[in-house]
Amino acid sequence: MPPIHPADSSAIRPGWQYAAAAVIVSATAGLGILLRAHLTTIDMAMLLLLAVVFVASRLRPGPALAAAVLSIFAFDFAFVPPFYTLHVSDTAYLLTFAVMLVVATTMSRLTARIRADALDADARARAAVMVSALTQDLAGAASPADILDVAARHIGVIAGGGTTIHLYERAADGEAVLPSTGALADAATHIVATWAARAGQPAGPGTGRFEDAGVLIVPLASDAEPAGVAVAVLPAQRAAISPADTEVLTALGRQVAAALDRHALDARHEAARVEIEGERLRTALLSSLSHDLRTPLASIEGAASTLLQAAALPHADRRELAETILAESRRMTSLVTNLLNMVRVEAGSLAVKREWQPLEESLGVALLRLDETLHHYPVTVALPPDLPLVPVDELLIEQVFINLLENAAQHCPSGTPITVSAALRDDAVEVTVADRGPGIVPGSEDAIFEKFHRGPASPDNHPAGAGLGLTICRGIITAHGGRIWADSSDGSGAAFHFTLPLAGLPAAGVPAEAAESAAAGKS
Amino acid sequence: MLTPAPSVLIIEDEASMRRFLHTTLRANGYQVIETASAKEGMIHAAGRNPDIVLLDLGLPDADGLTIIRALRARARTPIIVISARGREQDKVIALDDGADDYLTKPFGVDELLARIRVALRHAALPPGAPPRPVFESEGLRVDLVRRQVFRRGEEVHLTPTEYKLLGALIRHAGRVVTHRQLLHEVWGAGFVEQTHYLRVYMAQLRHKLEADPARPRLLTTEPGVGYRLRDETAELDDRAIAFEVQE
Repeated sequence: MPPIHPADSSAIRPGWQYAAAAVIVSATAGLGILLRAHLTTIDMAMLLLLAVVFVASRLRPGPALAAAVLSIFAFDFAFVPPFYTLHVSDTAYLLTFAVMLVVATTMSRLTARIRADALDADARARAAVMVSALTQDLAGAASPADILDVAARHIGVIAGGGTTIHLYERAADGEAVLPSTGALADAATHIVATWAARAGQPAGPGTGRFEDAGVLIVPLASDAEPAGVAVAVLPAQRAAISPADTEVLTALGRQVAAALDRHALDARHEAARVEIEGERLRTALLSSLSHDLRTPLASIEGAASTLLQAAALPHADRRELAETILAESRRMTSLVTNLLNMVRVEAGSLAVKREWQPLEESLGVALLRLDETLHHYPVTVALPPDLPLVPVDELLIEQVFINLLENAAQHCPSGTPITVSAALRDDAVEVTVADRGPGIVPGSEDAIFEKFHRGPASPDNHPAGAGLGLTICRGIITAHGGRIWADSSDGSGAAFHFTLPLAGLPAAGVPAEAAESAAAGKS
Repeated sequence: MLTPAPSVLIIEDEASMRRFLHTTLRANGYQVIETASAKEGMIHAAGRNPDIVLLDLGLPDADGLTIIRALRARARTPIIVISARGREQDKVIALDDGADDYLTKPFGVDELLARIRVALRHAALPPGAPPRPVFESEGLRVDLVRRQVFRRGEEVHLTPTEYKLLGALIRHAGRVVTHRQLLHEVWGAGFVEQTHYLRVYMAQLRHKLEADPARPRLLTTEPGVGYRLRDETAELDDRAIAFEVQE
C-alpha cells in the first residue's frame, strides 16, 4: 500500500471524489470484459475488489462505499451468469457481494482512522513546534513587558492578525477585572473575553464558542487564576481559525500564563531577599550607631559628672575634662550630620541647588571648618588660577570636601601631607584629594564607597568613623552627574578623584571691567 | 562712668539651650530676660526694652519671621536668629527681613559673644552717622576717605567693583551680609539673582587681600547665606574688661 497523504485526498472536492471512484471501478470492469476469455469469474471478483480497496485507501468513506456498490453491480451485470442482467442464478455469488461490501467499508474506515491519526499527529507536531518556539522566546524575556511582547508576537503569527494582550487589573473595590480599554473597550468583546479567561478556552470565529465575536480571544490561564487574554483581529481573508490552531493557541496561552506566574514568583522572592538584606543592614546600622553614639555620650557624661562632684579638682584637670566634653560633642555633631546626609542621599531627596561658583570657596569653608582636625596635616591647595566656575550646590560640595579631608586625616598618621588639586577635563572639572598615607587595601577601591565600610584602624588611634562619609560623597557627586573613584599607588598614599560636569546649567558670564584701575578717586 | 550692663532677651523654647545661653551671658556681664514662647517674647520686647534679641527660628507657637517683622516695625533692636544647619533658606529670609545676624546650632561661646558684640556696636551708631574714616582688621587697613587699601602696610589696587564690594562689607563689618544684599548694594536691584558675579569678585578680593585665599580669615563665606568681613575691633571684649575694672 502506498503511503497515505491525507492532505492529498482532503484537497479534492467530494464531487470529484465520487467521479474518480466511478471511473476507477468502470475502468476495472471494462478491462475485465476485454480480458474475459483469459480470466475466471473469481479473478474478475479479485480485480474489482482491488479497485475497491484502492478507492477506499485513497478517497473518503462515501466514495469508497459507492465504489463497493458499483463494483457489485458491475460484477453481477458483466461476470455473473446469466451475463448482462442483474439476475443472480447462483446464490453463492451473494456471498461474494457481501465480502466485497465488507472489505470496502472496513478498508475505508481503517483509512479514515489512519488519516485522522496522521492529521492529529501533524497538528500535535505543529503545536509542539509552536509551543517550543514560544517557550524558547519566553526564556529570554527578562520582564513581564518582554513576556507580553513575545506572547503578542507568537499568538499573532498563528492568528494571522494584530494581537494585543490585556492583563487583569485590580479594580477600586479590589476585585480583579480585565481593563475596558483598547481592544476590550467594546462591552460585548469584554464579556466574551472575561468568559474566555474564566473558562480557560479560546473564543471567537472557528473556536466553536462565541463564533460571532468580531475578534479571536485566547485566554492566558495556567492552573492558577487567569492572568489575562490575548485579543487577535483575524485578517479579512480568514473567516475562522481551524480546530488545530485553536488547540495550539490554548497551549500558547497556558505557556504565557505560566511564564507570568513564574516571573511574579521570582519578583516575590527577590523582594523577600531585598527585604531580608535591608533588615540585615538596618540591624548593622543600629548596632554601629548605638556604639558610635554611646561612646562619645559616655565620655561626656563621665567628664561632666566628675566636674560636678570633684570640687577640689586642679585647674588643669578641670580644663581637660571640659575639653573632652567639647571634643566628644563635636564628634557627635559630625556623626549626626553624616547620618542626616545619609538619610537624604538614601531617600533620594537630595535637592541639588546648583549655582556657578569657584571651587575654591567651598574648599575654603571646608578647610576652615576642619581647622582643628587638620591641624597636624599640612594641606596643599593646588587649584589652577584659570579653573572655570562649576555648577554645584555649595553646601553639598563643601560636605564632599569635608568628608574626603576627614577621611584622609582619619587614615593617615599625623604629619602626613594632603593635596587638593583640580584640572579641567573635556567638559568636566576633575578634583583630586590625595594623601601620602598608607593607601587603600588593594582590591577594596570600590568597596570603600559602600555603606558602613570601615577602613583599617588608623595608626594614631583616631576614633573610627561610621563608614558613611564616602558613601555620602558618592551620593552627592552622582546627584551632580559626576563620578567618584579612588586609587592607590602602593606605599605612596590614597587618591580620591571626582568629576563635576560643567553642562546642565545655562552658562553664566560675568561682565568685564577695566581690570587694573586703582580704586583711589574712582567709584 | 560705666554704662549699665546690656540686656539680652532670649526667645528659645528648648530649656537646655536657654540655660546654656542664660549662664554664659550672665557670666559675661549681660542682663538676661528669657522666655520660651513667641507670645511672651513679644510682650517682653515691648515692655522691657532689651538691647538685643536672641530668637530661635523654630518656635512652636509662631513663625520666627512674623516675630522679626513685628519687632522691626517697632524698633531697631538688633535681632540674632538661632537656627539649625540645613535651614539656610530660613536664615536668608530672616536676614533679608531685618534680622542682624545668625547663629547655627551647635555654636560655641566665642561665636555667640562675638555676634552679640558686633550687633550691639552697630546698634550703638546713630542712624545716618557718618562711617568711620578708617577700617582695620587682620592686617587690612582701608582709608575710606582717601579710598586707599593697604595689606600689611602695602597699598593694594582694587578695581571699582572690588572696592564697592569691600565698601559694602565694611559698612556691615563683623555682620553677615546676604548674597542678595551685597548684589543689591554693589550691582543694583536688577542683579540680585546673579550670585556668580558676587562669587567671582569675592574670589578676586580674596586673592588680593588674604594671606592664603584658599583659607580666608578676613572675608569668610557663610555657606548658603552670604559673606562676613571679620571685624577684630568689634569682636573685642571691651565690656568684660570694663566689668573687671568695676569689680
